[in-house]
Amino acid sequence: MLPAATVFHFPWEIYNGAVQEGESVRVFGRLVCYQPEESRATLSAQHASKEHHVFVHTLFVEPFNPIIGAQYLVLGEIEKAEGVGVMVRARVLNCVDGVNVALLQKAINEQRSFFRERDDAAQPEHAT
Amino acid sequence: MQPATMDPAEEPPSMLWGLDPIFSAFTRLYVRDILQMVESTQVPGIYFYNSHPIYKVDVLGTVVYQREREDFFCYGVDDGTGVINCLCWKNDLFKEEEHPAKWGKPSDGDQGGFNPVAELKKLRRAQQSRCRLEIGELLRVRGPVKTSRQQREIMASTYYKVNDPVMAFQIAWMMEVPQLYRQCYDKPLQLQPNATGDSAVSSLSKATNIIKDFLKQKSVCRFRPYDVQDLLQPLISSEPRNASADQEPVAGPSACQQLHQLLKEVLQILQDEGIVYRKVKSQDEVYHVTAHDKDLLIAVKDIIREDSRREKYAEKGCHVLHILSAVRQRYSLNVSKAALELVLKSLESNSDVVSTSDSHYTAF
Repeated sequence: MLPAATVFHFPWEIYNGAVQEGESVRVFGRLVCYQPEESRATLSAQHASKEHHVFVHTLFVEPFNPIIGAQYLVLGEIEKAEGVGVMVRARVLNCVDGVNVALLQKAINEQRSFFRERDDAAQPEHAT
Repeated sequence: MQPATMDPAEEPPSMLWGLDPIFSAFTRLYVRDILQMVESTQVPGIYFYNSHPIYKVDVLGTVVYQREREDFFCYGVDDGTGVINCLCWKNDLFKEEEHPAKWGKPSDGDQGGFNPVAELKKLRRAQQSRCRLEIGELLRVRGPVKTSRQQREIMASTYYKVNDPVMAFQIAWMMEVPQLYRQCYDKPLQLQPNATGDSAVSSLSKATNIIKDFLKQKSVCRFRPYDVQDLLQPLISSEPRNASADQEPVAGPSACQQLHQLLKEVLQILQDEGIVYRKVKSQDEVYHVTAHDKDLLIAVKDIIREDSRREKYAEKGCHVLHILSAVRQRYSLNVSKAALELVLKSLESNSDVVSTSDSHYTAF
């Protein structure tokens, strides 16, 4: 009944094999292109002097007001479609233009390192 | 660390739950942890995270599921670690809803003046807009955790839509929660009774409390050290006697000397706290109890009353330090600031004086 939790991922992690098909993710990026006839939006983000793209299937969130160049946050499932490759089937697409991307990245890393720390602390306990 | 594996026998006794400050707080746990906490076997509705008893939580997340019923909303809230159902009751103001079609019409008496009916409608609309959320919007929920039909859910005691267009609130939340975990939730509760603390420190604080209680119960106005000396006897006698039973008496501080030393320290503490003061410093050690010294109270009251009439203090009232120097001039040189503050506090709680601003007092 309830959908799966959408875990924060960076745009550059969508294609490097870190996420499996069907996994629920939340990703941010700048909207660079929207093709309404195909229900396809493209988000982009800079990382390590490279530009990374995320394709978003927008059928479930249409109609929406596309603002090219604005930051968006998408919640959805990873889907591997033929010909297109990996894309996120959006359940939620929010315009968050004006977001402090550096701070958001820091917050995501903060959360991750907290969980890593806690899992590491829990590991030895299970071993014994 | 994994809460699901906790043995029910390890559950802390329910008598101690209230001593855990986390118990009475709305804990900002991750939804994942809320879903995994073990329920208490003693009292259903109480859960344990890391042996901390928890029954109410505070959650911020995106609405990913929404159902509306006659009396409540059901929101699925996703905070990035898990999704939980939140049961959000509609309040009465919400339910008295009129037909939305009527909203558009301006009322007949709308002449730009204050119209309570229109204002109430506005309030109702504002409330509805904060309670009715669509998928993708941000919701903050506080309330107790319940388990119904094997599903954990939050019974919202408060809930509202959060307007967070640039994610500032969400980011702040994401930064704060790990800190809360590190500083509170992941730290085991330590309940160490005072008795196991340093015995020297605890006997001093015990002795101070004994004297304080005595002064309060008997409404003592003034006393000399030997009047209260016997009260502290039980604290001293027990230990040295045990020691001397199996040893020859050694040259050290005798019980009597220890008692004097302890009493001296206690009187110093009481003076520092302003609870007692010596009106006159002479051979004859007389201590006045600040709270029961009517003369001092009257003197302070008179000073404030007289001086607040003077032009200089009329507006702002008298500063504590001004009162202190006046008391020292007119009443006794040895009144400490701490003692004066106690007097002012009791005068203020009797409405004899009024504090106008920080450290300023006046009287009418």
